[in-house]
Amino acid sequence: MNSHGESAAASATVRPLRSRTLWRPVILLTLILLATIAISVSIGAADVSWRAIASGDEIARAILLRIRLARVIVAALIGATLAVSGVTFQTLLRNPLADPFILGVSGGAACGAAIATAAGLARLPGIVPLVAFAGACGATAAVFLLARRRGRTDTTRLLLSGLVLNAFFSALILIAFSLSPQSDLTAALRWMMGTLAAATWSDAALLAVLLAAAMAVLVFAGNDIRMLAFGEDDARARGVDVERVKLVGFAVASIITGAAVAVSGIIGFVGLLVPHVVRLIWQRDFRFLLPLCAIAGATLLVAADLVSRIAIAPAELPVGAFTALLGVPFFLSLLRSER
Amino acid sequence: MLRLANVSYAYSGVAALREVSIAVEGGGSLIALAGQNGSGKSTLLKIAARVLAAGRGEVFFEGRRLDEWQPREYAKLVGYLPQEIDVTFPMTAIDVVVSGRAPFLGRFSWEGASDYAKAEEALALCDAAHLSARFLDEMSGGERKRVFLARVLAGAPKLILLDEPFAALDIAHVQQFSLLLRDIVNRTGSTVLFASHDLNWAAAYSERMIVMRQGLVALDTTPAEVMRAEVVRELFGFAAETITRDGRSWIVPNVSE
Repeated sequence: MNSHGESAAASATVRPLRSRTLWRPVILLTLILLATIAISVSIGAADVSWRAIASGDEIARAILLRIRLARVIVAALIGATLAVSGVTFQTLLRNPLADPFILGVSGGAACGAAIATAAGLARLPGIVPLVAFAGACGATAAVFLLARRRGRTDTTRLLLSGLVLNAFFSALILIAFSLSPQSDLTAALRWMMGTLAAATWSDAALLAVLLAAAMAVLVFAGNDIRMLAFGEDDARARGVDVERVKLVGFAVASIITGAAVAVSGIIGFVGLLVPHVVRLIWQRDFRFLLPLCAIAGATLLVAADLVSRIAIAPAELPVGAFTALLGVPFFLSLLRSER
Repeated sequence: MLRLANVSYAYSGVAALREVSIAVEGGGSLIALAGQNGSGKSTLLKIAARVLAAGRGEVFFEGRRLDEWQPREYAKLVGYLPQEIDVTFPMTAIDVVVSGRAPFLGRFSWEGASDYAKAEEALALCDAAHLSARFLDEMSGGERKRVFLARVLAGAPKLILLDEPFAALDIAHVQQFSLLLRDIVNRTGSTVLFASHDLNWAAAYSERMIVMRQGLVALDTTPAEVMRAEVVRELFGFAAETITRDGRSWIVPNVSE
């Protein structure tokens, strides 16, 4: 089985994992993201040229900057948020199938938002994100407690818990819908379908602040979070305060998921797809994956939103349906490869 | 170096350790923690590694109570290898081993060149230098074991706690791994305390054997004292004879009985 000098890989050296090594992929992915944003802002249902803006066309300016750019930036921030949330859940739960949508965290957030809307609270600023966040935290706690057995999170139980929670939240959302004031129904539908059509600059500001804070916390805890990849006992023996790290990680991932869902509704599978694709290229630990997932997630959602806008323009597909179409086959192939 | 004084531990009411007292001296020795499944070996190691906190009794390391140690400072001096480590996502051996340097890193600092050098050294010490760039999931069980042992050694701990290091290894690899442990003790001067339910391999290269039974220390002596037919019959309840070869005693079960 094993003997010395049998491996051809012996001569191949692994590039040490240092913060320096991170710059190349970060710059590469950022360039791709910027290009995707530029293309996405330039293309849309209304034919607006950059030249028209340069010549002082106010309408063109409004379409491009107030509407389209805001939407593209929100798409980028939500994509980044969901991917960051996904890679955090996957690392903390030591499970490649974890994702805020599959775990029911997005569903919990949407449920909170729908109930707030039904209660007529949607017009009070800040209430919907707050309730969505509460829903996300509740769902995280529930799925975590349900899936845990003898100190481990079992994959089957995790998926089943997410499935059951999602069904439960869907039922609550439907009830909330039927009780909602008629005028709020379109907004309410958003929680179910996932769409960026109503994105504004103030959404972008909220998401940007939360995402920046979340990234700061996750980087701060990154050296500890990545140690969980070897199991909780091992991490504990290496001086990691496992309970605290998990609490911080889950709280942060839930807060940003709640905010993302409050803005866009449920957009599934981004948190699952992105970390896996990034891992296919760079098989490294959490500290390395975190920034790359953020940028790649932003790119994916900007691109998906572009396709959902132009595929049957001037009508729109909900972007959540589109990411699910991409994500489901991927999820199934991952599930098949699970032992 | 490590001292347990009347340590008890129970898992939701079921006693795993009862008033266990042992002392382990530093300065390089190979100590086996033998006993049947469920005799409390793993629990004892987990308490020594600070994975579990002793239910009752006290544990001291270098004269200080365990809860008085900063977790990271403790982790620099005491290395622990759980029975099984399941790495969910693909990782290369060198990345696994260098993560053993974690207690030495600052909050925001990543492993530097010296950490990688120590990781490579540890791999070489475990006869696994050639595995450096290989992915864990492409390795055999024996190779993976050596990589994880290297991960513990990368921190150059004074005390190394190994839980069933031979489990799931075939006999040739058990032999190889036992010799490796002996060699590491001789070369690094670390003290290794390893749990094993296999009496023969627990005894083979150790200086001392602590035999656990039903959460108690049944015997704490030299391997030669343990590996006697009457002792084995009394402790483990099976008839056996002892074969002595090159100064080592091997227990052979008496199947004809």
